[in-house]
Amino acid sequence: MTIASFITVTCCLFLFGVFVIFSMNMNYIGKQLEQQCELQAYMYLETDEPQQRAVYEKVLQLDNVYDATLETERQAFENFKKQLGEDGDLLDGLEDKDFLRSSIKITLHDIRKSNDTKKAVEKISGIEKVENYQDTVGKVLSLTGAVNKGSTVGMIVLMIIAVFIIQNTIKLSVFAREKEIHIMKFVGATDRFIRTPFVIEGIMIGALGFIVSYAVILFSYTPAISTVKDLIKMFDFLPLQSCALQLGVMMALFGTMMGAIGSAVSIKRHLKV
Amino acid sequence: MIEFKEVTVVYDKDIVGLDNVSFKIEEGEFVFLVGKTGAGKSSAIKLLTGEIKPTSGDVIVDGIVVNRLKRRKIPYLRRAQGVVFQDFRLLPNKTVYENVAFAMEITGKKKKDIQRKVPKILSLVGLSERANNYPNEISGGEQQRVSIARALVNSPSLIIADEPTGNLDVETSAEVMNLFEEINKMGTTIVMVTHSEKIVNDMQKRVIQLENGVLVRDEENGVYNIGA
Repeated sequence: MTIASFITVTCCLFLFGVFVIFSMNMNYIGKQLEQQCELQAYMYLETDEPQQRAVYEKVLQLDNVYDATLETERQAFENFKKQLGEDGDLLDGLEDKDFLRSSIKITLHDIRKSNDTKKAVEKISGIEKVENYQDTVGKVLSLTGAVNKGSTVGMIVLMIIAVFIIQNTIKLSVFAREKEIHIMKFVGATDRFIRTPFVIEGIMIGALGFIVSYAVILFSYTPAISTVKDLIKMFDFLPLQSCALQLGVMMALFGTMMGAIGSAVSIKRHLKV
Repeated sequence: MIEFKEVTVVYDKDIVGLDNVSFKIEEGEFVFLVGKTGAGKSSAIKLLTGEIKPTSGDVIVDGIVVNRLKRRKIPYLRRAQGVVFQDFRLLPNKTVYENVAFAMEITGKKKKDIQRKVPKILSLVGLSERANNYPNEISGGEQQRVSIARALVNSPSLIIADEPTGNLDVETSAEVMNLFEEINKMGTTIVMVTHSEKIVNDMQKRVIQLENGVLVRDEENGVYNIGA
């Protein structure tokens, strides 16, 4: 019976771990997307370099600004040329023409406030216009929001299912010892005295299940991620070392609690003698 | 020390277990509880151990109103009682010694006390030689003596026996009854449910008879005679 409980717990924990690691990676990707949604502030063509520096300094001092990079006309020209690649020679001879604007790329602490920040940047003299890619911001926000909600709901559902399964498996082992429990009650054993060994057994099963499922996830994570990365090249995924500890703690807690609660619930009915 | 005060037990679907039953049992008495199946004997025993509560009335054991005890206090009530069942209820994976020691362990007794007390009790019930045997290696009579030893080991003031000879042959029953009588002589109150006419008639103890949940007879030195 213990082996059946152990296998069930291990499978549940493995599923739980996969879920946690999936949602951790979705959040990580969400952060990457958020950071790509920066503001871009374009300056008037006639501003010179010292003026541009001054504007840049002012931008940096704004509340919601996380970081900013100044791209002068020259740099913009070089970047443009680089983007054209082999066709870059199309731009030859245009070096001294003022047709590209200097701009400042701004990343934000909180992209939900990007509209306010946009207005603040627009007020700085020397700035002609500010792009904030509002559509993308909105989409990213709703995507990460949905992923967060979805993973919370998913984890709660998984927990309920897991406790239910564990409880039923442990119920079998309690049932096998029903006679013993009955005798203990009649000799005057307290509920706690009877319950404790079962709860410890549940915790042990949870802990064992944790060790096995955690090991499986640890060994398979890096190969799995590199396979996924071959398919979806545009995002980075969490490296193992930066999620292993958090995952381990969550799985260990989940496993032992599941075991303890499952045992306590299964035995409750048998104590009413 | 035991008192039933106008005790009525009504189960689900209006089945009456006991109907306004009152009696007293003094300390050191030996009482047979007789009656047909369904007469209310089991209800009476379950009331004593706190397994069920009366619908009305009070059950008092050693000055404690059992039906008003909180659930978590019930184990302590049972430690002052020893219960012996028809089917012995021994743990099959424990030896004779361990089965008896177990009753002391759960009450949190010290190992030293257990090691001193268990052999004494086993010798009292004549099972010193069987200490290391498992229940399936000994006879029915011996198994019942183990369960009596287990009931005795915490020195209870009351022993409740529910058809203790129901699974034993006549000769073995007599041996077990002798044991109960000795225990009673040492001052322990004994309340015994039985269907054995021979035992009741041989022992000549107080007899309380129940019929359809009603107390119909309570006599000293009584006989079985529960009618057809």
